[in-house]
Amino acid sequence: MARDNSIVVEKLVREFRKGPRAVDGIDLHVAPGEIYGFLGPNGAGKSTTVLMLTTLLPATTGSARVGGYDIRTEGPKVRSVIGAALQEAALDPLLTGRDHLKLQTMLQAVPKAERKPRQNELLDRVGLTEAADRKVRGYSGGMKRRLDLALALVHRPSILFLDEPTTGLDPQSRTALWEEVARLAREDNVTVFLTTQYLEEADVLADRVGIIDNGRIVAEGTPAALKAEIGRPSIHVTPVRDDDRSVITELLGRFGEPLGSERDLAVRLREGSGLVDVIRAMDADGVVVDDIELRAPTLDDVFLAKTGRTLEGAAAEKTVAPSVR
Amino acid sequence: MRLRGVIAGVAWRMLKNVVTTPSILLPSLLFPLLFFVAFAGGLSQVQNVPGFDYPNGYTAFQFVFVLLQAAAFGGVFTGFAIARDFEGGFGRRLMLASPNRLGIVLGYGVAAVFRWVITAMLLTVVALAFGMQVGGGPVDLVALYTLALIINVCGFLWSAGIAMRIRTMQAAPLMQMPVFLLLFLAPVYVPLSLLGGTLHAVARFNPVTYALGTGRGLLAGDATQVGLSFGLALVLVVVFSVWALRGLRSAEAAG
Repeated sequence: MARDNSIVVEKLVREFRKGPRAVDGIDLHVAPGEIYGFLGPNGAGKSTTVLMLTTLLPATTGSARVGGYDIRTEGPKVRSVIGAALQEAALDPLLTGRDHLKLQTMLQAVPKAERKPRQNELLDRVGLTEAADRKVRGYSGGMKRRLDLALALVHRPSILFLDEPTTGLDPQSRTALWEEVARLAREDNVTVFLTTQYLEEADVLADRVGIIDNGRIVAEGTPAALKAEIGRPSIHVTPVRDDDRSVITELLGRFGEPLGSERDLAVRLREGSGLVDVIRAMDADGVVVDDIELRAPTLDDVFLAKTGRTLEGAAAEKTVAPSVR
Repeated sequence: MRLRGVIAGVAWRMLKNVVTTPSILLPSLLFPLLFFVAFAGGLSQVQNVPGFDYPNGYTAFQFVFVLLQAAAFGGVFTGFAIARDFEGGFGRRLMLASPNRLGIVLGYGVAAVFRWVITAMLLTVVALAFGMQVGGGPVDLVALYTLALIINVCGFLWSAGIAMRIRTMQAAPLMQMPVFLLLFLAPVYVPLSLLGGTLHAVARFNPVTYALGTGRGLLAGDATQVGLSFGLALVLVVVFSVWALRGLRSAEAAG
């Protein structure tokens, strides 16, 4: 019988003592083999959700089944079918990369005969063969992340949780990790639950995206469907002189609703308006601009439409006023 | 199988760190030796005090104390490692990777025992080199080392319970201080009969006093209150096992 590697969550709540609801009654369903991107700013409840689904933190109320097992009553079975790389790759600085893999194979009861080949295979897959016998305290951040991913894969889990796996990685390492995650889902049919605050990451990797803000899922769907929901493109204008801003704002206002962009002047185009119309109006009014750009909707636009803030702005708010968590 | 794998994995990692890292290994070896040399050597004239009636001499008298002290603190130091692991996030990794989390506690426990065995072997060799007289037979000696091992387990379970509740190295004094007080409020330097005042009153009710008396008796081949000492030690193991398991539940609840 095929293993059930889905994730089903119903009305999941986590309330911290004297704190707000970090997760406030979320429902979600991740199909087998799907890459589900869980997108939201810092403190939105992404990591708390992952901690509950990986049985590291008990839920206050609600239920969830991971791989067909109840996270409340079947914790050991859940842990045997999942792999997880959490936000901080907590490694033992005194052990080597290979030692970590050896420990993980022991914890996960990988048969003795398979341990060494599995260690070598994973070291090779994450590009750490040469550094395998060096102590982890000498590893770079990217190497630690890659080792963390290898550790999560030791027992061939059918479900993989990745909590902000590329935070702090250089672009090259980030791309390599994306490729590996995509390969796992495509070739090994691993279900991937990926939290991220990078729009591009969710856009590139995820089959479906859930957007979480203040503990609630505010939007869910494929990246294309979510963007289509927003529908219309936006126009972004950079003025030559600051004095022109009010004139340009007034002009753009004729073609759509203003967007809260801090870097440039922007509007979401109304039905029937296009870039050509805007440029013609500028010509007619004698307005000169430094740059004008037509942009297709992004996940940030989706976030803005659903929450009234940009993802970047929401992250900054959390930084200025951190929650009790 | 899963439980055994977790126990073996956690113990292997702890022992690998101990054996390959001199800054971890040496203190646990040198401190007991230092105590032994300082006590047995520096205070050896105590055996001439009227009323000191231990037949095997002061070196053997002190050896038993240092053996039990090393056992208790060997357990406590493993508690420090647990706290350090939880503080640094490695504890969470173990909780996540272990289908059976009871194995985590047992794995640390096995490591504590192995650590103590290394210390005990070295201590015994040094004590014999110092001319320690052994009066007890093989059965007495096995009983002596078993008693020390039970004390090692008690020290470990006590500190593991604290470490998993507080999950930071700031808990270290809380783990160490009660053990330190219990050990030193016992007849450490002289027999119970030579203690006076408050110390004598406290020592009479201290379980370590019974363990020390029995241990010294076993080494001399003239053990008394063996059943009582082992019984007390085993009761403590049961009590501290519950304490440690509740600590594990507390760590699980805290995430």
